[in-house]
Amino acid sequence: MKKIIKGNIFIIFALSLMVLAFAIESPARDDDAEYAAMIESGRKVYEVRCLLCHGENGDGNGLAGIIRRAERNGRILEIYPRDLAMGVFRFRTTPTGCLPVDQDIIDIISNGVPRSFMPSYKHLPREDIKAVREYIKTFSFRWEEEEPCEPISVNRPVWAGNPDSVRKGRKIYKEMKCGECHGYTGKGDGPKSNDLKDDQGKQILPFNFTTGNLKRGSSPENVYITFTTGLDGTGMPSYEDSLNEEDRWHLVSYTLQLMKKGE
Amino acid sequence: MYRRFYLILLLISGVVLFAFSILAIVKELNPEWKGYQSEYKKIFIDNAEGPEADVLAKQFDIGHKQIYLKRLKRVDRCMNCHAGVENPFMSEAEVPYRRHSGDYLDKHPVAEFGCTVCHDGQGRATNMKEAHGIEFDTHWDRPVLPFTYIESSCAGCHDAEMLKNNGAIKFAAGEKLFREKGCRGCHKLAGEGGVLGKNLDGIGSRPKHYFSLRYVEGDKTAYAWLREHFVDPAKIVPDSGMKVVLNDEEADLLTVYMLTMKSGEIPKEYRRIMNYPERPVTGEALYRMYCIACHTSGEQTIYDEIFGRTIPAIMNPSFLKSINDRLLTEMIKEGRNGTQMTAWKNDAAGLGDDEIQRIVAYITRNRPEAGPEPFGFTKFSADVRAGRELYKVRCAFCHGETGRGGKGFLGIDLANPVIQGADPEFLAVTVRDGRPGTTMVPFGEKGLKLEAREITDVVAYVRTLSMKE
Amino acid sequence: MSEADQSGLGKFIDNIKALRTTLPGSYLRAGKPASDMTKASVMFNNFFLHIQGVRTHIYTLRPGYTLGMGLISLFLLVITVVSGILLTIYYIPSIESAYNSVKDIKYVVFAGNLTRNIHKWAGEGMIIFVILHMARVLYTGSYKKGREFNWVIGIILLAITFMINFTGYLLPWDQLSYWALVIGANIAQSLNELTDIFGLTRYFDIGGLFKELLLGGTVPGEAAIPRVYFFHIMLLPLVMFLFLGAHFWRIRKDGGLTRPDIFELDDETTVLSRPDLLQAETAVFLLTFAVVLIYSIYINAPLKELANPLIPENPARAPWYFLGLQELVSYSAFMGGIGLPALALTGLALIPYLDREPRYVGIWFSNKEGRGVALQSFFVGVIVLTGLLAITVNFGWFRDWWPDVPQLAITMINPGTLWVGFTMAWSLRTIRKTGSTRMGAIALFTMFLLSYVILTYMGTELRGPNWEFYWPHEQWPVY
Repeated sequence: MKKIIKGNIFIIFALSLMVLAFAIESPARDDDAEYAAMIESGRKVYEVRCLLCHGENGDGNGLAGIIRRAERNGRILEIYPRDLAMGVFRFRTTPTGCLPVDQDIIDIISNGVPRSFMPSYKHLPREDIKAVREYIKTFSFRWEEEEPCEPISVNRPVWAGNPDSVRKGRKIYKEMKCGECHGYTGKGDGPKSNDLKDDQGKQILPFNFTTGNLKRGSSPENVYITFTTGLDGTGMPSYEDSLNEEDRWHLVSYTLQLMKKGE
Repeated sequence: MYRRFYLILLLISGVVLFAFSILAIVKELNPEWKGYQSEYKKIFIDNAEGPEADVLAKQFDIGHKQIYLKRLKRVDRCMNCHAGVENPFMSEAEVPYRRHSGDYLDKHPVAEFGCTVCHDGQGRATNMKEAHGIEFDTHWDRPVLPFTYIESSCAGCHDAEMLKNNGAIKFAAGEKLFREKGCRGCHKLAGEGGVLGKNLDGIGSRPKHYFSLRYVEGDKTAYAWLREHFVDPAKIVPDSGMKVVLNDEEADLLTVYMLTMKSGEIPKEYRRIMNYPERPVTGEALYRMYCIACHTSGEQTIYDEIFGRTIPAIMNPSFLKSINDRLLTEMIKEGRNGTQMTAWKNDAAGLGDDEIQRIVAYITRNRPEAGPEPFGFTKFSADVRAGRELYKVRCAFCHGETGRGGKGFLGIDLANPVIQGADPEFLAVTVRDGRPGTTMVPFGEKGLKLEAREITDVVAYVRTLSMKE
Repeated sequence: MSEADQSGLGKFIDNIKALRTTLPGSYLRAGKPASDMTKASVMFNNFFLHIQGVRTHIYTLRPGYTLGMGLISLFLLVITVVSGILLTIYYIPSIESAYNSVKDIKYVVFAGNLTRNIHKWAGEGMIIFVILHMARVLYTGSYKKGREFNWVIGIILLAITFMINFTGYLLPWDQLSYWALVIGANIAQSLNELTDIFGLTRYFDIGGLFKELLLGGTVPGEAAIPRVYFFHIMLLPLVMFLFLGAHFWRIRKDGGLTRPDIFELDDETTVLSRPDLLQAETAVFLLTFAVVLIYSIYINAPLKELANPLIPENPARAPWYFLGLQELVSYSAFMGGIGLPALALTGLALIPYLDREPRYVGIWFSNKEGRGVALQSFFVGVIVLTGLLAITVNFGWFRDWWPDVPQLAITMINPGTLWVGFTMAWSLRTIRKTGSTRMGAIALFTMFLLSYVILTYMGTELRGPNWEFYWPHEQWPVY
C-alpha cells in the first residue's frame, strides 16, 4: 500500500491499474493489525481537523453547521459540509455512479475545495492523509460492497482551446441546453438556476463560469473530467453517453473561454 | 494674360457664394421651431371654442418665445415647440402641442417657473435634439428628465413630509428604500455615513460626465447610470463593491430619491420648506439606515464574496451573551481596522454618541438573561508557545495563519485592535462556548473538548497576533 | 433774388447730375481712368491699393506659381475680423455669462451659429494657409535679395496667428476651453522645469510669472476670461495689424510681388495691376469666402459642456494646432512648450541670413537638385521621425529605463531634442554634400513641415487617456 505513485492526470489510467492491483492484493481488513492502527490514527486526525464540520459520524452535521455565502449577485448560498456517510462523491475520475479511486480522495483532502471553505491540507504528512482517507471509508457501507471503477482516460487533443473548437463548443453548449442552468452567458443565472436541489433536497447553485474558479480546479483536464463523470448527487449529469469525446473537448474549449482561460 | 482664368474663377465663385448665401438665409429663416408653431396654430384654430378663443388662436404670433428667469438664472425657450403648454384647448393634442398634464401649472405658472427647473434639459436650445440633450453629441450636462423620475424635481423646493402627503408616491417609496436598505452604511450624506462608497452629497446635480457611461445600456445619461447601477452594480462599475441589489421597480424609486440630492440650486424665494417637529429616530431605524446592508438581520454569519470576508452575526444570542455594552460601543465607534467595518464615531462617519447608544440598545434587545459562565482566565498561567501550536492545528484553517481571516477564510480577523484590546476573559469564553448559530465551534467541554488550560494558551497566543507582520 | 435763387438751385441740380463722375473721381483722386497713366494712378492714388505696384509681372499672375496662399491668409483674416466684430456684439466676457452668451449666439441670434462657424473655421484656416504661404515663400526662394527681413516679420505673424487662435479657443468657456487653458497655463509655467533643475525657482519663478500673466491668477477662472478676451480682440490684433502693415509695405519696397528674378520688368512682361491683378484678387477672395461659407453651413464649430474643473477631460487637449507641441511637451514640458518652439522659430527666422545664395530667386525648389533634396528629406524625415516615435511609444524613455535619471538629462535628451538635432545635422550634411546653403534651407524646412504634420497627427489621433498610445478608432478604456 505504501507505494502509491503520486497522481498525475496524464497517466491516470496507468495509475488506476496500479491502484486496482493493490486493492486486490490488500489483505482482508478485519483481522489486520496494521489496518486497525491506520484507522485509529485516521480517526485522531479526523477528530482534530474534520469533525467540527463533517460531524462525528461523517454525516455533515458537525458543530459548525451550515456555512452561508453571499454571492456577488446578492444571492445567498447555503453550503452544507459533505455528508461522507452517503458514499456519494462529486469529484471523481471514475464514471458516474462509481466510487472514487483512492487518489481522488487524497486530491480533495490535499487541495481543498475552493469557494466552499474546505481547506487544503497539503502540509499534512501523506501518512495522515492516507489514514484519514481510510477512516472516511468506514462511514459508508458502499466501501465494503463495491469496488471503485476504473478512472476514465483523459487525452487532451492538441486543438483544444483553438477558436474553431470554441465555436463548435458554443454550438454544443446551446444544443445541450447548458444555458438553462448555467446561464446563456455562462454566469450561472439560467432560468432553472433558482430551483436546483441536490440529492438531499438542499438548494445548490449552478457554476458561474465567469468566476473562472472551478471547485475541482480549472485545468482543461479537470473540466473534461467533470463533463465526463458528472457531479454525482447534483443536477450536473455525466455527458459520457450523450456526447462523444470530441464534442466534450469542444465544450471544454468553450467553457475555458467563458472562464477567460483560453489560450 | 490669365484674365480668362480669373474671370471664370471669379464668376463661378461669385455664383456659388451667392447661391450658398441664399441657402444660408433660407435655412436661417426656417428653423425647426417655426414648423411646430405653425402646426400648433392650425390645431389651436381647430380646437378653439367660443369667439374669444377663436380670436386668440387667429392672433397667435409665430415667433421666438422665451422666458427669462432672473432668480433661477435660466432662459427657457421650450415653448418655441411646446407652444400649447398652458392652453386649455390643447388637452387632447399630440405632444409637443399638448397642454401640460395635471394641475401643476396652476401653482407653478410657466412665466414664473419656466420648464427646466423641473424637467431639466437645455432651456436655451431651440431645436429638439439639443434642447432634450439626451444624445451624446449634444454635450449637455443635464438631459431632459424622464417622466419616471420627475417627482425628484419637487424635492428641490418642497419638503419630504409635504410631498408624502400629496401623492409623491415614488419619492416617498424611494426615501423609504434609502432609509431601510442601509445605503448610509457605505455612503456619506450630509456628513453622516460610511466611507466605503462615494459621497452622495449633490449626486442628483452631477453632470453626466461625472459618471462613466461606457457600460450603460440605455440613454447615456446620469439617470440611466443610476438606475442600471442599482440593478447590477458590477455591470456598470466593473470593480464595484456595492452589496445592495434592487429589482427594476425599486431601482426606479431609488433613482428618484437619488436625484433629489441636489446641491442647493433653487433660490430661497422658490422654496416651500416647512419646519416639522423632529421625530426621534429609533435604534431600529438607525440600524436599518447604517448597518443592514452588510449585517442583514444580524442573526447569522455570512461569508461575503464581494468583501472577501465573513460578516459576523451581531444579533446572535450567543454573541450578545458574551459581549458587554462597553465593548460593543467601542467596536461601533472605532470600527474594525483592516475590515470593511467603518468607524462610526462622530468625527469619522458622523454618528453621535446617543445615536450609537440607541443602535447598541437595539442590537442587544434580545440579550439572554443569564450571562456566560465565567472562565476565570487569570487562574491559569498561559504558555504562548503551546498556544501557537494549538492555533496552527485548531484555528488556522478558519482564521488563517496570520489570524487576519479575509479572502477564502471563514473566520473573522483576530488581529484587529478591537479583538486585541478586548478582555481575554471574553475571548476565552468565546473559544470555550463557541457561537451557536455561527461557524465558530465550541472548543470547550460542550464541543471539541479542549482543556481550559489549552484554551488559555490559545487565547494568549491570539493576543500576540497583532505584534507580528 | 429769384435769379440768384435759380442759379443756386441750378448749381445744386448740376452737382447732383455730376455725382456720377465727381464721386468716383474724388474717390480715385485723378478722375475716371481713361489712359494707362490714369489707370495706373488709380493704384498709387488709392490708400488701399497703393500698397500694390502699378504693374504686375505676368509670371506672378500664373495661378500655379504663388497659389494665392498669402492672399488667402489675408482674406481669411478679413473674414475673421468681420465675423469677429459681429460676435463681440453678443459675447459677454465673464465667467457666468460667457458660455451662456455663446449658447445664445448659437440658438437665437440671426445667423449667429453661422457667424460663429465662419469665425472659427476662417481663423483655423489661417493657420493652415499661413504655414502653406510660408512653405511657398521658402520653396520658391522668395526670401532672398532684400526680402530677408520680411521673412522674419512673417515668422512673427505666424506666431501671432497661433496665439490669436489659441486665445479665441478659450473664450466660449466650455470644457474644451477650460482644459486647453489648463494645458496652456502649464506650458507657460514650464520654464519652471529649467529653473527647478538649477534650484532657481525659489528666487525667481519666471514660469509662475508667465502663468499668472495668462491667467490673471494662479488657477484658471474668473480673472482669466477678460484677460484672454483682451488679448484676443485688442492686443494681439493690434500687434498683428502693425506687423501686417509692415509686411505689405516691405513687399512693395523689397521689389513687389514675387517673381523669378531672372525675368526683367518691362512693358512686354508686365500688365497693369488694374484690372488684371485686382480681378485675380477678387476671384481668390470670392473663392475663399465661398469655401468658408459652405464649410460653415455644414460643419458646426464644437461647443462642449460648460467648463467644469471637477471633470477632467482625459486626455486634456490643447487645440489641434498645438497638439504637435503637446506631444513634445509629454517628453519634456520645457523643451516641448518653450525650448523647441523658440528654437524652431529662431532657426526658421535665420534661414534667409544663413542662405544668401543669390541664385534661383523666385523659382520653385531652385532646380532639379532642390526637388531631389526636398523629396529625399521628406522620405528620410518621415522614416526617422516615425521610427523615433515608435521607439518612444513601445519602449518609453529614460524615466522608464532608469527611474533615478536626473531631469536635466531628460530635458536635454528626449525624442523632441533628438529630432531637432537630427534635422540640423541632416541640413548640414545636405549643405556639405551639395555645396549649397539653399539646399540646406530646403532640407531643414521640409523636415520642419513634416514634423509639424506628423506630430500634430500623432497628438490628434493616436493619443488617448493619460496621453497613452491608441490606434485610431481603438476603444479607450473607462476612467
